[in-house]
Amino acid sequence: MMPANILELNHVHKSFARTETENVTQALSDINFTVRDGEFLSIVGPSGCGKSTIMRLIAGLIFPTAGTIKLNGEVIQGTNPERGMVFQKPTLFPWLTVEQNLTFSARMMNTAKRSEYKSEVERLLEMAGLAEFRHDFPHQLSGGMAQRLALIRTMINQPKVFLLDEPLGALDAFTRMNMQDELLRLWQRSGHIVLMVTHDIDEALYLGTRVLVMAPRPGRIRADLVNDMSYPRSRTSDEFLHWRKRVLEMLDFGHNFN
Amino acid sequence: MERNFNSSDVLDHLTRERLAELESAPRRGLRLFCDYLVCFMPVVFGALALAEYLLVPNLKGNTTTSTYTYFIIALTLTAAAAFVLALVRQKFFYVLRHKAPFYAFVFALLAGYDYMTLKTGTLVLPYFPWADQILNAMWQDRAYLLDCTLNSLKLLFTGYFSGAFLGLLTGTACGCSKTIDYWVSPFTKLIGAIPSPTWIPIVMVIASSLFAGSVFIIALGVWYALTIATITGIRNIDHSFYDAAKTLGAKPHQLVLHVALPFAVPNILQGLTQGMSSACLVLITAEMVGVESGLGWYVSWQKSWAQYGKMYAAIVVLCVVFVAVNWGLNKIRRRLLRWQEGVTQ
Repeated sequence: MMPANILELNHVHKSFARTETENVTQALSDINFTVRDGEFLSIVGPSGCGKSTIMRLIAGLIFPTAGTIKLNGEVIQGTNPERGMVFQKPTLFPWLTVEQNLTFSARMMNTAKRSEYKSEVERLLEMAGLAEFRHDFPHQLSGGMAQRLALIRTMINQPKVFLLDEPLGALDAFTRMNMQDELLRLWQRSGHIVLMVTHDIDEALYLGTRVLVMAPRPGRIRADLVNDMSYPRSRTSDEFLHWRKRVLEMLDFGHNFN
Repeated sequence: MERNFNSSDVLDHLTRERLAELESAPRRGLRLFCDYLVCFMPVVFGALALAEYLLVPNLKGNTTTSTYTYFIIALTLTAAAAFVLALVRQKFFYVLRHKAPFYAFVFALLAGYDYMTLKTGTLVLPYFPWADQILNAMWQDRAYLLDCTLNSLKLLFTGYFSGAFLGLLTGTACGCSKTIDYWVSPFTKLIGAIPSPTWIPIVMVIASSLFAGSVFIIALGVWYALTIATITGIRNIDHSFYDAAKTLGAKPHQLVLHVALPFAVPNILQGLTQGMSSACLVLITAEMVGVESGLGWYVSWQKSWAQYGKMYAAIVVLCVVFVAVNWGLNKIRRRLLRWQEGVTQ
C-alpha cells in the first residue's frame, strides 16, 4: 500500500513589499494546519484574507517569509507537478488545441512516450466530454468546458495535492453545481489531498470534509471545522442550513439571520 | 422563413459551405443571375480593353506590336477560365463573386492608361511609355532582368533572415532577462532611432564587399524591428500563463520556448512584416547608391540612359516580387495565427 500523503504548514507567515510605499503588507500570519490523504479542505473567507496566497505558497510559486511548508516531511522548494493547481481563470494556452493543452505537462517532462499515457489522455478527454473538441482552440470552448479542461490538464499528473484556487468562481450557477459534483467524484476516486479556495460558503460546505474559515488583515485562521455531513449532501437539509449559519456568523455575517 | 429540416442526415454532415448556404437568405432568380453577371464582368472588360487597343487609332507616330494584344488576351482567357470554374465549383463562385468587380476595374485601368498614353498622348513620352512598350522592354531584357531579380532576392533574403534570426534572439533574451535588457536596450534604442538608409554611406566605405555591407544594413533594420516586436510580445504576457506552466512542470528554458515565444508570435509576425518593408526600402536604396546589380540598380541605370520603358519594366518586376514576398509572409502568418481567429458567426 502507498504511504499516505501528509501536508503540513507550520507557523507560516507571508508578507509582500508594496510598490508605492516603503511599507510591507502582512498577508498571512501564523498559519498552521495539517492535511492528510482523503481530506477535502475548503478554505473560505472575505477577499484579502490571503486564501490564494496559501495556495500559491503550497504550489511553490512563492515562498513563505517565515515558517515551513512540508509535503511528506520534505520542505517545498519551487513548483512540482505532484502539487497540481487550477486557477480561477482556466489559463489554457490559447495557441494550443484542447489535446495539446492536455498533453502540455507530459511534453515538458518528457513522459508523453509512455504507453499508458495515450489511453489516459483518451480517458480524460472522454470523461470531461471534450473528446470531439480535441482539435479546437480554447477560445472556441464554453466557460465550463474550458475549466474542465484546466482540471484534467492538472489531473493527468495525478497530483498528490490538488490545489483549487476558486476554479468555479467565474462559472454560472448551473455549470457550477454540476462541476461541484464532478469535483467530488474526482476526489473520491483519487483519494488524495484536495485544497479548495472559495468565497462561496455553500460550495465550501457542500464539498469539504473540513472547512477553514479565515479572517483578513493579516490573513489568519479563525476556525478549522470538521464537516462530518455524509455525502451526497443536500444543500437544503436542516443540517446544511445549520452549518451555513454557523460559518456565516463566524465571518461576522448573519447576525440578522433569524 | 420556412426551411425543410426533415432530413437529419444533412444536418449531421454539415460542411462549412453548406452551413453558409443554409443560414444565408437563399439566392434565387434575379439575384443569382446578377451574381453570375458580376463574375462575368472581368471577361467583358477584358474584351473592351482589347477592343480599345485594336480599334482606337494610335496617335500619329506611335507604333505598337502585338505583345500587348497577347497579354490582354491571356488575361481575359484567365478571367474566362475562372468564370467557368465558378460555374462548376460552388466554393470558387463565392471567391470570384467577391474579387470580380476589382478584376474588371483593373482591365478598365489598363484600357484607360493605354488610351491616355498611346492613343491620345495626354501623358507624354518619354516619362509615360504605354504598356506595350513596357512589356516589350521586359521581354527583350528578360535574361538580364531575371539575373537582377535573383541578385536582389539573394541580397534581400540573406539580410532579412540573418537580421530576423538575430532580432528574435536579442528580443527573446531581453524579454526574458532583466540583466540582458539592462545592458542591451540602450543600444537598441540608439541604433533603432537612426533610419537604416543613413548607414549606407558609412558601411559602403568600411565594408569589405558591397554585398556584405548591404546585407549588414538590411539585417540591421530587420533586427531592430524584430527585437522590439519580440520584447513587446513577451512583456505583454499574462503572468498566470507562467504560473500554470510552472505548476505543470515546465523548467525555465521551457517557459521561454513553450510559453513566452508562442505568446509573442503575433507580435513577432508583425515585426517580420515591418522588417520586410524596411528591408525592401534599404535594398532598393543600397542598390541605387552602391551595389552594382539588382533591380534597384537596374532602375537607376536605365533611368540615366533615359530608357524609361526598361525602367518601368524593372519597376513592374519589383512590384511583382515584393507583392509575392508579402503574400508568402501573409500565408505563413495566417497559418501560424489560426488559434487567434474568432469563431465565424
